[in-house]
Amino acid sequence: MIEFFGDVIAFLADPENWTGTRGILNRTWQHISISTIGVFVACLLALPPAVYLGHSRRGGFVAVSAVNIGRAMPSFGVVGVMFPITLSIAFLASPIGYWATLIALVLLAMPPMFVNAYVGVREVDPALVEAARGMGMTGREVLTKVEMPLSTPLIMAGVRTAAVSVVATATLGAVVGYGGLGRYIIDGFAQGNDVLIFVGGLLVALLAVGTELGLGWVEKRSDPTQRSIPDDEKRLVAPVGLDTADHVGSGTEAR
Amino acid sequence: MTVVAQSGQPFIDWEWVLTHGDDMWEATLEHATLTAIALGVGLVLSMILALVALQWRRTYSPITWFTGILYTIPSLALFTFLVPVFGLSLTTAEIALVSYTLLILIRNIVAGVDAVPDHLTEASRGMGMTNRQTFVSVQLPLALPAIIAGIRIAAVTTIGLVTVTVLVGQGGYGVFILRGIRRQFLTEALVGTVLSVLLAVVVDAALLGVERWATPWATRKASS
Amino acid sequence: MPADPMILLSDLSKVFQGTTTPAVDGLSLSVREGETVVLVGPSGCGKTTTLKMINRLIEPTSGSITVAGNEVTQMEPYELRRGIGYVIQQIGLFPHRSIRDNIATVPSLLGWGKSTISARVDELADMVDIDPDMLDRYPAELSGGQRQRVGVARALAADPPVLLMDEPFGAVDPIVRARLQQELKDLQARLNKTIVLVTHDIDEAILLGDRIAILNVGGILEQYETPEETLRDPANPFVAGFLGSDRGIKRLSLIPISTTDLVPGPVVAPDAPIHEVRTVALEYGVDWVAVVEDEALLGWKAVADVSDSGDAARPGFEPRPFATTLSPSDSLKEALDAVVTSHTSVAAVVDGDRYLGMLTMDAISKEIIQ
Repeated sequence: MIEFFGDVIAFLADPENWTGTRGILNRTWQHISISTIGVFVACLLALPPAVYLGHSRRGGFVAVSAVNIGRAMPSFGVVGVMFPITLSIAFLASPIGYWATLIALVLLAMPPMFVNAYVGVREVDPALVEAARGMGMTGREVLTKVEMPLSTPLIMAGVRTAAVSVVATATLGAVVGYGGLGRYIIDGFAQGNDVLIFVGGLLVALLAVGTELGLGWVEKRSDPTQRSIPDDEKRLVAPVGLDTADHVGSGTEAR
Repeated sequence: MTVVAQSGQPFIDWEWVLTHGDDMWEATLEHATLTAIALGVGLVLSMILALVALQWRRTYSPITWFTGILYTIPSLALFTFLVPVFGLSLTTAEIALVSYTLLILIRNIVAGVDAVPDHLTEASRGMGMTNRQTFVSVQLPLALPAIIAGIRIAAVTTIGLVTVTVLVGQGGYGVFILRGIRRQFLTEALVGTVLSVLLAVVVDAALLGVERWATPWATRKASS
Repeated sequence: MPADPMILLSDLSKVFQGTTTPAVDGLSLSVREGETVVLVGPSGCGKTTTLKMINRLIEPTSGSITVAGNEVTQMEPYELRRGIGYVIQQIGLFPHRSIRDNIATVPSLLGWGKSTISARVDELADMVDIDPDMLDRYPAELSGGQRQRVGVARALAADPPVLLMDEPFGAVDPIVRARLQQELKDLQARLNKTIVLVTHDIDEAILLGDRIAILNVGGILEQYETPEETLRDPANPFVAGFLGSDRGIKRLSLIPISTTDLVPGPVVAPDAPIHEVRTVALEYGVDWVAVVEDEALLGWKAVADVSDSGDAARPGFEPRPFATTLSPSDSLKEALDAVVTSHTSVAAVVDGDRYLGMLTMDAISKEIIQ
């Protein structure tokens, strides 16, 4: 056991392993860049409709379905399905595995973002909305000045949940040929190299936990009222406002 | 409309689907077994930890913190911590799968029991029930909806995660997905994914049915 | 020789953790078997704390409590509680069990046989007036008043000698509450349990209590006597203030008409001539007469309505019925209400159809002054 950890430390201590295309730095960069793009695109696609629907208090059904589908979708499956599809579309075929992974990331990131944003906007205290309207704000002003600021923590929580699951899915990108930190793991399995496997897993775990904590910090800062909602309540958001008999809801964790 | 792939395949190869029924059934059994073991062990562990948290409140924070970390770590990474010790085995897969169920189950059990109104526990103690009797006959049954809700979420999540266990040598629908990737065969990957979703939907509905059956009082209202 | 008290509190004190002033400070009180004692007082007087110490839902800091001769702290709490009925304001019916199972809770805990339990549940349902059809329903399907009754039935299920009730009727509306209070009185008359009841409502205390313990903040016992004695003679300004400025009238609700003297009143026969009508009315100084035939009260007539031709009961001039007639078991408070609201300023008292007499304002006031 100690020997094993000695090997791990030796691996990490060797500067050769940090540089170059197969180095830790490059792979971490690959991992972070595809994750960031994925989260960003998912935000663009999911947040506007969610905010709009939440504001107009319609489309509860969409949110319910989003949660259920998002939770049931196996991330590995989505990546796996995207691979042959992207291969058959010429401009998406290379770099190998890139587009498959990215599209999968976006698809899997959208549900938690959508649900949290929808619920966040919709659940803003109706009394506040009424007061704002009563003061003469237009619908759009109510949205931008009241509903969105107040729903920011929940939206950020959705982004955080999505980001963590994106980091996880990006790891699986290695199975379809993409780089990133998952590459260490997949190569390690192929070579039977336990040290490689472990290093890959360790780095991915650190990245995931780091993302969670980092975005969690941003989330706390983003709360205009600086009240404290317990972490796990936001992470596993239950859309209380939706009239469903089922217990809808948890952050959809694609892993 | 069919989109013809580079290799000249049609979009979905229905013939493949129809001829691999046996494989699909076998995969279903494997997948269901992996899920059931994870949920079973997870539920037992979570019950124990939840009872600890309910009895000694201060442990709740550390427990949720720890299970939260486990939850955040991507599945593949968790496997990598276990493979050097347990190899590519069922144990590796199950330990990881169980870890992911803990946070949601513990949270729902504790929240469910907490949600039982105080006056009910007061009434039951006032009538002479011991603390254990109060827990078993009053708090637990009334916490059942919340607990089953947690089990549903854990079940659906686990079913999705079981697909990844193919990478540590297990069976289930992940086999189709992996083969679909290796052979660049869309149909197979799609079948693996769709079956996983279907299983999740079926299990979720079944558990909802269990909840309805176990809580006959929840649906009745005053008629007058 | 007086029998040993059923419940004895000796120098009972409770100081809650984190506070310095006692919630209950050295309270001593005894409750006789078959008696209903009501603990009443303002917020913070420790009445609920005291009640909950009897069944050890709250542990005393010092002092002792004896129930039926047993020192309460010597028993296992849950054993103690299975021998004491406990009713709380929110009732606390288990929503996940049928009414039948709810009522059967303590007998089940005690290990009674199934058929014994079943018979007992049926018996109790009858006793508290619950429709047997309700027994297999769930609490959510019952109304507030019905649930309260089930709560009482559940407390009585194992036939405990003592019943503790904590604001049992606080959560229902006044109409239902009045009915439930009366039902409790009737039940108690049949069962003769020893009841300790906590309420903040002095009227409820007066209605239900054989003795009322008025507690001041910190569990200080200010007065512990029957309602009549307390109302007539408050021990100090605090008690007087708590009883309210209308305590004279409150006393009236405890006094039945039968104990007061009635006057015959200005009574004439239906066929009395006009001069007799006028004489009788004058005698009593009123402008009306009551019409009685064969001991039955027919009503009253204004003197002005009686015609010169002498027939007091001519067709077209029927006596008007009294707005309210009272029976001897009604209270003076009801009589006062009748007197104050009627044209005639008296309360007519009848026993069935038989006319007994009238109650004047004077007679009623005498009772208050006394």
